[in-house]
Amino acid sequence: MKVDESYDPTPPTPDRWESLSTGNILPSIPPTPGSIIDLGPLADSPTPTTQRERDEQAETVVEGQSISPTQAALRRLGRDRRAMISMTVVLSLIVISYIGPLLYVHIGPPLTGAGPFANQTVVSTVYRNFTHQEQTLTDQPSSAQYPLGTDAVGRDILARIMAGVTVSISVAAMVVVFDIVLGMVVGMLAGYYGGWIDTFLARFTDLMFAFPQLLFAILVAATLGQAFINTLGPDGRLILVSLAFGITIWPQMARYVRGQTLQLKEQQFIEAARATGTTDLGILLRHIAPNLFSIVVTAATLDIVGIIIGEATLSLLGLGVQSPGSSLGLMISDGANQLGIQYTEVLWPTIVLAVIVLCLSFVGDGVQDAFNPRTKD
Amino acid sequence: MGSLLSNLPALVFLLALIGFCVFVGFRLGVRFLIRRLAGLVFVVLGVSFVTFILGYLAPGGVVYAQLGQHYTVARGDQLRHLYGLDLPWYEQYAHYLNQLLHLSLGTSWLNSGQTVFQILGIYLPASLELGLWGAGLAIVVGVPLGLLAAVRANTRFDTAIQALALILYALPTFVIIPFYDLAMVNLHSHGLYSLATSGWDSLDQKIAPITIFALGIFAYYLRITRSSMIEVLRQDYVRTARAKGLKERVVVWRHAFRNALIPLLTAIGPALAFAVAGVFIIEYLFNIPGIGNRGLQAITSQDYPVVQGTVILLAFAVVLMNLVTDVAYGFADPRVKTSS
Repeated sequence: MKVDESYDPTPPTPDRWESLSTGNILPSIPPTPGSIIDLGPLADSPTPTTQRERDEQAETVVEGQSISPTQAALRRLGRDRRAMISMTVVLSLIVISYIGPLLYVHIGPPLTGAGPFANQTVVSTVYRNFTHQEQTLTDQPSSAQYPLGTDAVGRDILARIMAGVTVSISVAAMVVVFDIVLGMVVGMLAGYYGGWIDTFLARFTDLMFAFPQLLFAILVAATLGQAFINTLGPDGRLILVSLAFGITIWPQMARYVRGQTLQLKEQQFIEAARATGTTDLGILLRHIAPNLFSIVVTAATLDIVGIIIGEATLSLLGLGVQSPGSSLGLMISDGANQLGIQYTEVLWPTIVLAVIVLCLSFVGDGVQDAFNPRTKD
Repeated sequence: MGSLLSNLPALVFLLALIGFCVFVGFRLGVRFLIRRLAGLVFVVLGVSFVTFILGYLAPGGVVYAQLGQHYTVARGDQLRHLYGLDLPWYEQYAHYLNQLLHLSLGTSWLNSGQTVFQILGIYLPASLELGLWGAGLAIVVGVPLGLLAAVRANTRFDTAIQALALILYALPTFVIIPFYDLAMVNLHSHGLYSLATSGWDSLDQKIAPITIFALGIFAYYLRITRSSMIEVLRQDYVRTARAKGLKERVVVWRHAFRNALIPLLTAIGPALAFAVAGVFIIEYLFNIPGIGNRGLQAITSQDYPVVQGTVILLAFAVVLMNLVTDVAYGFADPRVKTSS
């Protein structure tokens, strides 16, 4: 900041009509080095006027150091208590479901009265396997051996719930990876180059929007299900379900990416990169892709919820995972038949599914608010 | 042609459709209309092709399913020839397109003697009733609550309503339905009044499916109305109206309300997608004789003409709703003439 040495401390004598001003009575204060505030490197950018803008600007400086928008968004997410609690709940459920069975099958008391004639004794590693059927102990309420009871063919409900959650998470993970990869690749190419890729994406998206996602998944699962199992083994159905959801879910992600790419393409830093000789591929990978992070993460989180619901729906309708495999939707469908006999068979999987879906929705909401603060009220 | 024209409601609907197209052509230009119709044709073609390919790739169990114990190689071949399953796939598809051009969706393989149009005609009314009543209920309850929540933004009422909407929006219907069934079974076993849990004849059988169907859509509309209304209340012209000294009620109802409803039109599309998915689950779990249930039966019994007919019908409905939404949006907001 420079002070103009030629500054005249006394203003010219005011006109009679302006004698209401202080005029010559009080000398105006000249700018001294102490009264000049250095606004720092942000002085040239537009001054934030609303509280929201001030908050956003303040977030980009932490302990004197500037942080990237992604890090600012992550901190914002960290302050969202509901999202953080939900994330903790979901992560603990996932960990329990993947690691729990390893411990769970070993800590149970021996089961007397087992076997086809109810006269054998089995250890917990046998009867707590989620596919093991104990024909004489069907529809049991909770006990020491079976903390959540047994279902209509004598399988341990808690073990099946844990296996079902792993199925849901596996399908969701597979589909989301497919969704992000395909959506980003096609979206970036369509937004950056335009042309036939863009037209193809637009037409394909129209088609996929008209084709209800669930219906497509049902069709694929029903028609190709058996063939996949024959070639890929019992996990074939899982892979098929993932594929079906993946095909219908990536066009929306590609559209988001395309829109964002179109915006980014016009920025000056892309022009600068091109001027310094960066290849198109380099621009796409190093400049455009990192800036897509926020929109991709938001869309992917919301997609995960839809996929988990979709997989449960398919299994509920009998077209997804089938016995002896386990899925939350399948358990709900089976349990609903036993409503009058043992209502807990449908209660537990329903509660677990509701908790997972709700918590993931809260996390998705939090992610959306954190990464796109302007959509918040 | 005969199968379509003999069905009076379908005829009325077709005439209304043609009238709508003519109207759109006059108001928004012939080019817009032609572009949209071309899109519709493209989508129907694409959807029918995808369904056809899936049916073609599936192992052909329908012949075994129909003949059952009476299956012999000769009879199996005869049936296959009757259904045209021994032709190469492009011939089969060409044959199907030819059928479509004659406005016929073919004959069911499992209920031979009934055309697909007839079958759809039998099962469509229940689904329409469920869908329209459910959507109506959702809008009638959701939009006013959303407006109220926006007018009292950030109060305890607003937070409570928002929490409720989020929970209902996130929970899938087949999580709510077991709880409902549990409650009804419990009430019934204690001798108290309870609603039915399946069927579609009497009013108390219809209340529950319609209400549960409306729950998800209601939450969606509540959120959209609320955020749209809050956005409108922030505008300068609302501030001006308040500054002019108008009563708060007049400001809200005469000025803000109308503008807040415009984005709701664009929300019809996603709501419809949700509705189509929900229809399957609700009809399946409540045993309602609607298109969703019948379509599922057709899929599992590999009755492909019915499957294709159902899918085409649904896709057609979705594209049509998108067109209606675009046109309505063009009316509500004159700045938007046509959208692609």
